[in-house]
Amino acid sequence: MNPGEVSFILFGSFALLIVLRVPVSFALGLACIPIFILDPRMTPIVLLQEMWKSYNAFILLAVPFFLLAANLMNASGITERLVNLARASVGHLPGGLGHINVMVSMLFAGISGSSTADAAGIGSLMIPAMKKQGYDTSFSVAITACSSVMGVIIPPSILMIVWGGLMSISIGGLFLAGIVPGFLMALFMMGTVYIYAKIRNYPISERSSLREFGNALSKAVLALVTPAIIVGGIILGFFTPTEASVVAVLYSTILGGLIYRKIGFREFEKSLYDSASLASVSLFCIGTASAFGWLLAYYRVPHEFVGFLGSFGTGPITTGFIVAFAFLAIGMFIDAIPAIIILGTMLLPLAEKVGMHPIQFAIIGVISLAFGLVTPPYGLCLLISCSLGGIKVVHVLKDVIIILIPMLILLILVILFPEIILFLPRWLAPGLL
Amino acid sequence: MKSFIDRYCRFLRVLLTLLMCFIIVPVSIQIISRYTGLIPRYIWTEEVARFCFVWIVMIGAMIAVYDDAHFDVDLLPQAKTQRSQGIRNLVVHVAIGIMALFFSYYGIKFAQLGFMQSSEMSGINMASIYIAFPLAGFSWLLFLIEKISDDLKLIKSRELKPTL
Repeated sequence: MNPGEVSFILFGSFALLIVLRVPVSFALGLACIPIFILDPRMTPIVLLQEMWKSYNAFILLAVPFFLLAANLMNASGITERLVNLARASVGHLPGGLGHINVMVSMLFAGISGSSTADAAGIGSLMIPAMKKQGYDTSFSVAITACSSVMGVIIPPSILMIVWGGLMSISIGGLFLAGIVPGFLMALFMMGTVYIYAKIRNYPISERSSLREFGNALSKAVLALVTPAIIVGGIILGFFTPTEASVVAVLYSTILGGLIYRKIGFREFEKSLYDSASLASVSLFCIGTASAFGWLLAYYRVPHEFVGFLGSFGTGPITTGFIVAFAFLAIGMFIDAIPAIIILGTMLLPLAEKVGMHPIQFAIIGVISLAFGLVTPPYGLCLLISCSLGGIKVVHVLKDVIIILIPMLILLILVILFPEIILFLPRWLAPGLL
Repeated sequence: MKSFIDRYCRFLRVLLTLLMCFIIVPVSIQIISRYTGLIPRYIWTEEVARFCFVWIVMIGAMIAVYDDAHFDVDLLPQAKTQRSQGIRNLVVHVAIGIMALFFSYYGIKFAQLGFMQSSEMSGINMASIYIAFPLAGFSWLLFLIEKISDDLKLIKSRELKPTL
């Protein structure tokens, strides 16, 4: 079979199954079956072998562990402590609760590696509070959903672990590269909140005293050092990313169980189950997506694809925009992890050909996929926030689009000026590049 | 039948929780042995952790079919009648069923291959991990019996409004 036929069968049946509402992971696997049957050189066991190979990766273990650490932190009441800290630092700005929402998302992103947990945890606390103070529901829901996407950009990040593991890029380097765009994103979003607050006359609270700030900081500081332990431990070479994730689990168990005394046997058991089941649903997809990607590679589809794109004579900047556009488009319809496996491996040769730094390629991909978390029809963070706010997705879209504009500017900046993301890893850990 | 399926699923949930708890141990041993002299530096820790992890993914994927928790994408407009809702669900469940048959049939062959291999570090027979694949196939088929019979009931019903 030639690359054209193979991609037609694979992508065609995948798209059809998705429209019929077959789960993404199953649709990817089922789309492979016709090829295995039609091509006499193939044996169907390869599908299972490819799946097994993709799961048998030590690095992926970090995914359930980072989820577990975040769940344990959540169960220890960390979110309330972070909200108090945010209130004491940015609560007095116009649109106080909006700023608090963004800042808590940023702080929590440093503990958790996924955005959906952030949206659920922070939204259940902040959306009712914002509604009560007279903020529009659509704005409260939109800012919760959009700010939660920092979870996949600020380290630790599950998407970066998958990306780094798959394409053999240093995960420590990716984590460092995510810090600056994460901070910038928070800053840009707070700017948007400020403008909203000025136009819509959102309430202003009193400024907290230095003493209150110190008090709130001391109560949250033990949780706030988690990202430093994780990122520091990895870049200084103390642990591998997987080991760092276990250290985060042990640390949050001690913090929640012995110091804050909020986690008992029940909470621990529940956190274990929740983390394992969410991780396995996300990671099961990796198996079928890898088989799908393996077939694409076997029939040299990425090669043809790059040849086709390369014929336009693209440079690094055009390539950056192509990468961003491709991930933005696919991220609207499928989960980020299979998108990385299929599209990431297809575009990697193109990025290499034009000399784009692999870390820049990854960060452009991750930021673009972050948009997919808040864009319908498959925007998990948006769906979660909407259900928490009791509002339909269509009524929130306008605010979501407005809040996404600064994020889009950030994405364009990262494409045009790679130094924004590369200077930090270059400065702190040149060995990782 | 229903109570058997429910009990089996509850068993899987307990197993998943225990595995998730257990898997912390080998990775912790790895770190502790590197930085202290308390325990020797075992070479099997990483491999044991990886194999448990494969089981976690597969068991989680089994339960997710029972819970309808695998991610799907809502592109079609809302179903107008119970009947059309039933037909849609049936299509999804049949598709998962095809995958389940594939996993069951080729999974057994895969596990047979595993019987002839041992792992590199700890010498575990690979069939003990590969068997998770056919087992996932069988479990999905078991869960689908209940789901498909529910779909058929929906299709036969004459109510106009979907309950979902």
